[in-house]
Amino acid sequence: MNYEQINMGSYNLHIIKTTKFKTITVEVNFRRKLKKEEITIRNLLKSILLYTTKDFKTEQELIRETENLYDLKLVSSNMRIGNDSNLSFKVRFLNEKYTEKSMNEYSISFLMNVLFNPNIENEKFLDDGLKKCKSKLEKSIQKLSDNKLKYTLIKLLETTKDMPYSYNSFGYLEDLESITSESLYQYYQSVLANDFVDVFVVGDIETNEIKELFKKYFKINTFKKYKKDILIDELTPRKRIKKITEEYEANQSQLTILCTMNHLTDFERKYVLLVYNEMLGGSSNSLLLDTVREKNSYAYYINSNQKTYDNILMIYSGIENGNSENVLKLIKKTLQDVSKGKFSDEVFNNSKETIIASIKASTDSPSGIINTYYARMLVNSDDFEKRIENIKKVTKEDIMAVSKKISMHTLYLLEGKKEGETDEKN
Amino acid sequence: MKKIKLNTIGEEITYEKLENGLEVFLYNKSDSTNNYVTFTTKFGSIYNEFVPLEEFKMKKVPHGVAHFLEHKVFVQKEGLQPEEFFSKSGALCNAYTTFKNTTYLFSGPNNLKENILYLLDYVQEPYFTEENVESEKGIITQEIHMCDDNPTDVLYEYIRKNSFYNNPFKDSIIGTTNDINKITKDILYECYNTFYHPGNMFLVITGNFDEEDLLEAIKKNQSEKNFHSPQKIKIKEYQEPNKVVKQKEIIKMDTPVPKLAYNIKISLKDIEIDIRRYNLYLFILFSSLFDDTSDFDREAKDENIITNSLYLNLLNCDSHALISLINETPSYESVITKIENTLKNIKITEDDLNRKKKVLISNELFSFENIEVINDMIVDNIIFDGKIEKDMIGLLKSLNIQEMNKVISNLSLKNYSIVILKK
Repeated sequence: MNYEQINMGSYNLHIIKTTKFKTITVEVNFRRKLKKEEITIRNLLKSILLYTTKDFKTEQELIRETENLYDLKLVSSNMRIGNDSNLSFKVRFLNEKYTEKSMNEYSISFLMNVLFNPNIENEKFLDDGLKKCKSKLEKSIQKLSDNKLKYTLIKLLETTKDMPYSYNSFGYLEDLESITSESLYQYYQSVLANDFVDVFVVGDIETNEIKELFKKYFKINTFKKYKKDILIDELTPRKRIKKITEEYEANQSQLTILCTMNHLTDFERKYVLLVYNEMLGGSSNSLLLDTVREKNSYAYYINSNQKTYDNILMIYSGIENGNSENVLKLIKKTLQDVSKGKFSDEVFNNSKETIIASIKASTDSPSGIINTYYARMLVNSDDFEKRIENIKKVTKEDIMAVSKKISMHTLYLLEGKKEGETDEKN
Repeated sequence: MKKIKLNTIGEEITYEKLENGLEVFLYNKSDSTNNYVTFTTKFGSIYNEFVPLEEFKMKKVPHGVAHFLEHKVFVQKEGLQPEEFFSKSGALCNAYTTFKNTTYLFSGPNNLKENILYLLDYVQEPYFTEENVESEKGIITQEIHMCDDNPTDVLYEYIRKNSFYNNPFKDSIIGTTNDINKITKDILYECYNTFYHPGNMFLVITGNFDEEDLLEAIKKNQSEKNFHSPQKIKIKEYQEPNKVVKQKEIIKMDTPVPKLAYNIKISLKDIEIDIRRYNLYLFILFSSLFDDTSDFDREAKDENIITNSLYLNLLNCDSHALISLINETPSYESVITKIENTLKNIKITEDDLNRKKKVLISNELFSFENIEVINDMIVDNIIFDGKIEKDMIGLLKSLNIQEMNKVISNLSLKNYSIVILKK
């Protein structure tokens, strides 16, 4: 595998040459500071660019074209990375070695067509596309409550008001209404002009050919100065956890907990925290799962998830109605045990091995490779070998030290209630 | 050791059947870092009436036994539990139960041989007690509750329940709390002894390894264990009418957007061509009629009766194929009418057929860059009809419009069942 970063003036082109894959992956990332009022419009842009282009004027034509291109996979996503919002467009297609000559160039130019040749007239997106993409997004927002866990986590994070993670990543119905075909077009222009742009290409390719293709097709030419500002400010820890309960009709309850992380060192953030979380609730072998599920049958699942650049950690569990106090007690006890070093060497070492194995396995997929190199750029993360080495260096004392920097902040319980609660179901 | 050459793509799979009946499949990808291993028994939720090993009479067991067994096989008598053993070398392990199989698996870049032998050992050394069976009931009840609270899971249960009378696909894989409470240690052993015989199981290894070395270790491991001689398992046969149980049902459940499933029950009894081929024709036909490249999709979106494309689910249920068209929309009645109008006048062009063939052929190639996908593909093939399709691309290429039209003209769409789930 050979990695090269080329400064193209207004954007970075990252080329990863490898013979491992039968496909070529091209990912274009647009990144800017996240603003609450831009979430909805950014999501809309994500879907309208994939809806039609000037050359493929209906969604049907566009999707048929992807099928004709040997089922080229075209996807877009909009994700928050710490303080930033990352809008990404990606194609994955069979290397022309397996299809027909010049399909590589054609497939890459297809992505460029999607990005730079949208279906606009008089500096406006067409109303038809706007209407359809709006109603899609509207439905995604409405549907959120179908997934009880997602819903509860959103409510939990909303309690932190104004922190970037408190915003609903799908957007807001109020904002959706006010977006017009003109305002969306203006936003599109501002993304092209102002966002930081990083492009990744992974596959069995020639660096020069790719470089030439981008010079020819990639129409971004405003220079931006790169600023690193991913890390979110810390929350002030609370002496006593704040508890909020909402009731609904269901068999199960969702218990979610937000923990603050304060004063982490760079090494703790990048390495110790990974091991800590893996041990606590990151695997099917975790301390939380062992205590709450295996020993006490209170829950079907319990997990923890560290948000490295948000300075928070979350614990969440689907539990039997009426058991929330018991589960909370067990969670508290597990956290205390970890900070006192009451965990076996086995659990500790296994967690390290699991992380090392997942770092190794990430080299088997194009997206794993892209994520590694993107993180290297955004937060100076280390390369594959160095990361493995550093995980090995983490000690039990490191875990105890980091656990003292983590404390419970808010609990959100979505409490299930069933009328005439009974166990019979048909 | 035999080589199964996959024509057209130039890939090959190594195959060996051991003396005790266990089948082993290996696919070597020399540039892979990770390995993926699955150990599967042809025992899933639909096999709940059968003749137990060494007995003569049919016996009925509660629904959900296969899934319950999966949970219990994971538990070791003493010492390390599977999760702990695998995580020593950083491997991840899991297990899942479907209608027709139960699969135990792990993935990890290190200690492949030891991990495979451990996988064989732990699945082949069951340990059930009255006590550990009882304590599992709490955990599985939680899992059932989780599904009962999820509108999509509930919809899928009704789709099958309202379509089938006797076909065991009608029942849920996990069972109901009632079923679960009837399961005992003895029932588990009976099912285990019958279905976890090596002659009813297969091992699939995909990744980066020395084939001969692995095969030798597996053979040695298996030759040291005693099993009954392989025996054909008798499963209760059933008669399934072509009619559906309920033509239409509206389920009340708290969900923000109503959900619709339009399900067509198609008999597989008198089809004239190979079943794999027939399934491909059905898949291509219904995709081009209803997916995001179809006229239906374009019109329905223009008419504002759907916002997202229909999801097409094709379930092969032995006696019948069940085709489900699923969507979330307040305008479900208009969508039903539109589906019915489309089905009244089925058309597919040669262009459509060729484009869909191209998609399916490309996806065969896509899958050969991912060891998990290849592994799943082998498992699916074996569960489907016991063998690996050697020339999938050739098969896809040979699909043609004349045969497609014949399939269409013999297709009966009159047995349908509609499920709506809403507030």
